Amino acid sequence: MNDISFVQEVADTARSVIMAVLPLAVLFAAFQVFLLDLPRKQIQSILIGTLLAATGLFLFLLGVGIGLLPFGRAIGAALGSAGEEWVLLSVGLFLGFVTTWGEPAVRILAGEVEDASNGSIRQSLVVIAICIGVSISVALGLLRIAYEISILYLLVPGYALAVALTWLSSKEFVAIAIDSGGVATGPLANTFLLALALGASASIGTQDPMVQGLGLVALIALAPIISVMLLGLLIRRKASAKE
Amino acid sequence: MSFLGYCCCRAGVTRGEIMWSELKQRLAEVLQTVAPLIGVVCLLQLVIVQAPAALFLQFLAGSVLIIAGMFLLFIGVDYGILPMGRFVGGELPRKGSVTLIVLVGFAMGFATTVAEPDVLVLASQVDEISRGSIDRVTVLSVMALGVGTFVALAMARIIYDISIRVLLTASLVAVIALSFVTPEKFVPMAYDSGSVTTGVLTTPVVIAIAVGLTSVLAGRSPVSDGFGLLGFASIGAIIAVMLMGIAMQ
Repeated sequence: MNDISFVQEVADTARSVIMAVLPLAVLFAAFQVFLLDLPRKQIQSILIGTLLAATGLFLFLLGVGIGLLPFGRAIGAALGSAGEEWVLLSVGLFLGFVTTWGEPAVRILAGEVEDASNGSIRQSLVVIAICIGVSISVALGLLRIAYEISILYLLVPGYALAVALTWLSSKEFVAIAIDSGGVATGPLANTFLLALALGASASIGTQDPMVQGLGLVALIALAPIISVMLLGLLIRRKASAKE
Repeated sequence: MSFLGYCCCRAGVTRGEIMWSELKQRLAEVLQTVAPLIGVVCLLQLVIVQAPAALFLQFLAGSVLIIAGMFLLFIGVDYGILPMGRFVGGELPRKGSVTLIVLVGFAMGFATTVAEPDVLVLASQVDEISRGSIDRVTVLSVMALGVGTFVALAMARIIYDISIRVLLTASLVAVIALSFVTPEKFVPMAYDSGSVTTGVLTTPVVIAIAVGLTSVLAGRSPVSDGFGLLGFASIGAIIAVMLMGIAMQ
């Protein structure tokens, strides 16, 4: 990476972090002025915390941009030229799991679940359920690219299954599950796994790689919805077996 | 962990007392979060990829930044972002009317969508596919409108105590049905747009506001009513892009 593109990356990252913090800051300022009237000490700790979070997000995204994105492309290209399905499948399974395991928003969501449920739904269980969901969806997504199956053949039955599970699961897990779909497609998945799919489809598939890559993200958003509701059903079955 | 931070913040414990052990615990958590990814990538480098050393070093440098960034991010979320959301969520029903709560939901959804960098990338893709007939500003406003509407709907659901199953089933059936009538080029893009609305900072704020809301409304569960807003925000974006595709025909 040369100096100019590094400076560009820093500027782009800084801009996106500022854009992410701005609406939250404006909203909070409006609240503070019109409704909240919090003591100064609390305002201070909220401001410091927000500043820390923004700095952290900046470093994190910069690391993703300069380190993970180019390497994700290299892995995608290498897998594409290796060309064997079982390699694609197993790498997809592993990378899907560990990428989601590292996704910050997944941790934050699962931590909030543990807090809100007073510890009865453990953070680690939710994280693992989301990771398994993504892991399977990445493997399916890569196989789909290799066999050129239309994305709708996976998405429509998947969403139908999600609707069916909604009526079997407890309300708690329905709520957690739909949020899980959103957090799984965080900055790591969007750059790392997407780069992987683009690399693989550029060397295997004959269709437009952009369309293929987009389909993968849709699968990653869907799979945790199903896997988290299944976790809820498992927990309930275990609890009723104990009684 | 976030709960500990929250308690200390509320109880007015001075931060110095808990700082060191908490920082150490945080760092351990971050390392445990990122280590598997780094490990698998190193293994792949050895076995399959064999990328040039410079590229691999770049990856390692990026990993150091990721660890440092996540460490700061988690601390900042605990001390600043989550309390911010909880205060806002807790005060909303006390000070404001139903209209205000729903309006705040809409404004949150709208503003965070417009500010999300990924949305801009998507908007330029739509611009390109539609050969300029749908410009970026239109895409951006339609998506923000979709997200805002669904967050507002989901907040109204909490207040009026409508089952999450009903709203979710109706929304997902709409998504499936629209998939068949939306022009093919727009379908993958629409599904993808669902992922652009949930940024790392938006996630804790939205959840904390909703949990705060449930804590002051009678008879609401913090879990089944506090979660779900993010999911509906994504569905709002998907439906908005599909409708835009249909309108284009």
